[in-house]
Order: sequence, then structure tokens, then C-alpha cells
Amino acid sequence: MNLHADRNRALLNFIVLPTLLLSVALLGGLRIDGQSRQFVFIAPPLVTLLLSILLMSLFLRVGAIDMRHWLNIEQPMLSNVSHLLTLIALFFASAQAFNSVLPENGLLHWMFSFFFLWTLWTNQFSIFDSRRLLRSLVVLFATAFVLKHLVIAGLYAPEGGWLRKLTATLLQGIAIDVPAFAPATGYISFFALVSYVGGLLLIPPVPEQPKVTEIAIEDHALTETSDRLSESRKVN
Amino acid sequence: MQQKLIQIAGIVWTVLYASIIVWIYATEPRSFNEVTTNSRVAAGIYEVNEEKFNNGLELFHRDQFRAARDVWASADPAQKDPRTQFYIAYAFYREGWGRVYYDDALFKQGLEAVNRAISFAPNGILTIDDANLQMHSAAELKTELEQGIERSWKDLNPLKVFRERK
Repeated sequence: MNLHADRNRALLNFIVLPTLLLSVALLGGLRIDGQSRQFVFIAPPLVTLLLSILLMSLFLRVGAIDMRHWLNIEQPMLSNVSHLLTLIALFFASAQAFNSVLPENGLLHWMFSFFFLWTLWTNQFSIFDSRRLLRSLVVLFATAFVLKHLVIAGLYAPEGGWLRKLTATLLQGIAIDVPAFAPATGYISFFALVSYVGGLLLIPPVPEQPKVTEIAIEDHALTETSDRLSESRKVN
Repeated sequence: MQQKLIQIAGIVWTVLYASIIVWIYATEPRSFNEVTTNSRVAAGIYEVNEEKFNNGLELFHRDQFRAARDVWASADPAQKDPRTQFYIAYAFYREGWGRVYYDDALFKQGLEAVNRAISFAPNGILTIDDANLQMHSAAELKTELEQGIERSWKDLNPLKVFRERK
């Protein structure tokens, strides 16, 4: 039974988790053009990389990721490489999760970026634990998702009604450039964000080491001890 | 041992998946068809659809340049075949050529196509053996298209109306 649990845990940590995070990195920048229905891939803007750095530092600060256990010189190289890849995947997944809920350009892009930066910056000095941080992130991304994919997309939809006219009149003279994307973009973004939150739930603060390495280390230690014992017997 | 294998498989899979994502963002495919085409190009098994190419050539010989270009575009969706790109450029040239003036927009598109043809040709040299054409090399076609776009006093020469389309 334990064997199954260990194997499933290894599958979860080394296959499922990176796959989830990389899927977010893939889907976070994907949009569907409103008219031609073609794919539009938007690489993460610089500001999302900055946001991702802030978020990673937050993960470290609250202990959601204990770096001493993730990357350690005493660990086997394979584990370090695997953990490093997962952390890189997390970094780009975070950047793309932001990319997914940020308006693409114009005034709204900078407004959203500013609010994200402000929130993450103030969070750096707040008292948090990893569970609270996760809840806070879910609320942050959900709010941005609703604003971008429901409110703004609805306001600037080509077939928009009186609300669109009202907004256009109110914001007359202010250049708010909202590209028209197909509704499928919202679904893709939703899926990316759900995967991202799923990935965050799966990330353990302290990664588990494969049992085999522990056994190997123990075996190695035992061999060394027995060698020393036999040498001391020879001396005696 | 099984866990170690899973760990190795995880590393290989993560690197592979990340490479695919980088490749997708670098090539920016616009549809699943383009993803397939780009994969074939990356794998080195991309080939032009010969049947469509010949259909385009027939249309080209009947001076139906726009239709020919459309057919060639579907024959070479990745725009990687030098011969097809050369013919597309030639179609732009012939359609844009006028006795009194040249169509700049068409000539510019022709220039883009011939540049693609040159960039994908081995050593950048491309010669097409076609009796229907008066310009057989991509370099010649490129020069003709560039001269067509340039503005000079020669454009005011009234004898220009006697020149012939190549």
C-alpha cells in the first residue's frame, strides 16, 4: 500500500505538478482573435516577470517554499535539478497567470499592473502564512479575471448595449484600447488560472525525497561504518 | 528505483514540454493546422503540395495571378519553399506591373516573397527553369521589384510606356 502511495506521490510531484505549471505557462498568453478566430500568442510582458519575482519572494517569505529543502547541496543532483525545474516552471506559470488577467495594452494594462504591483508590494510587509497567501492570491486573480474577462470584455464587446455607449461617453477622449478577443479567450484564461491554483495547492513547502535515495544513502552509510569497523579490527 | 525512474522521466518531460512551449511562442502558429505545419518543418519532413503547386502554375500561365497566389499559399502554408515563393513574387510582379505606373503595394508584397525565396534557397541562389518566364533568377526579380518601388526622375520619362513586362 505504501509503495503505491510513494509512487503516486512521486508522479504527482515530478510529473503532474510541472505539467500543470507549464500548461499555465502555455495557456496564460493564448488569446483567440475575435474576428479571424486565430490563435494569438502574447509573450509575458516585462511587468509580469517583475510581478512574478515579487510573488516568488512572497512564497519564500511565508514559507510556502522552503528553499533550504528545495535546493540543497547535500541532496542528490537529480533531486536538485528536478526541484529547480519545478521552481522555474512556477516562476513562468506565475508570470503567465498575471499575463492572462492583464489587459493587453493601453491605460487599463498599466492600471491593472499598478494594482498588482501595489498589492504584492504591500503583502511583502504583511503577516502571512501560506494558507492565507493562497486565499489572498485566489481572490486577487479571481477579481482581475472578472474585471478583465467579464466586465471590460462585456463593456467593449462589438455587440455591447447601453452600458457600452454609457462607458464610451463617460470615457470620451481617454484612449482605452481594448483588443477584441473571442469568448473562448475567457475560458482559456479560466482554465489556466484554475490549473495555476491547483499547482499552488500541490506544491509542498518541503519537497519529499524519493525513498530510494534515502535507502541508498543509508546503505552507503552502513557500508562506510562496516568498512571502518573492519579496519579498526585489523588495527587492533 | 521506480521513484528514481519517475524523477528522471519528470525531468525529461519538463524539459521537453518547456521546449515545446518556447517553440510555440517563437513560431506563433495561428491555428492547429499551422502547429502541424510548423512541426513538420521542425522535423524536416515538410514538403510542398505538388498538385496544388501545378494548379497554381496553370492559373499563373492564364494570367490569373491572384487565384494562383491563393493556390500556392495553400500549397506552401509554411512559406518555406523557395520555388513557390519565387512564383508568388513573380505573380505579384506581373499583376502589379503597369505600362504607366506600378502598383507599389503589390510590388512590396512581391519583394517580401522573393526575399523569403532567397533566404530559403541553398546559398541564397535560386534559378527557375521556366520558358514562360523572362526572369529566371530570384536576384533578377528582386532587382526589378526594388526598381519598381523606387522613385526617380526616370519615372517621368514618357518613353516608359513602350517598355515590356517581363
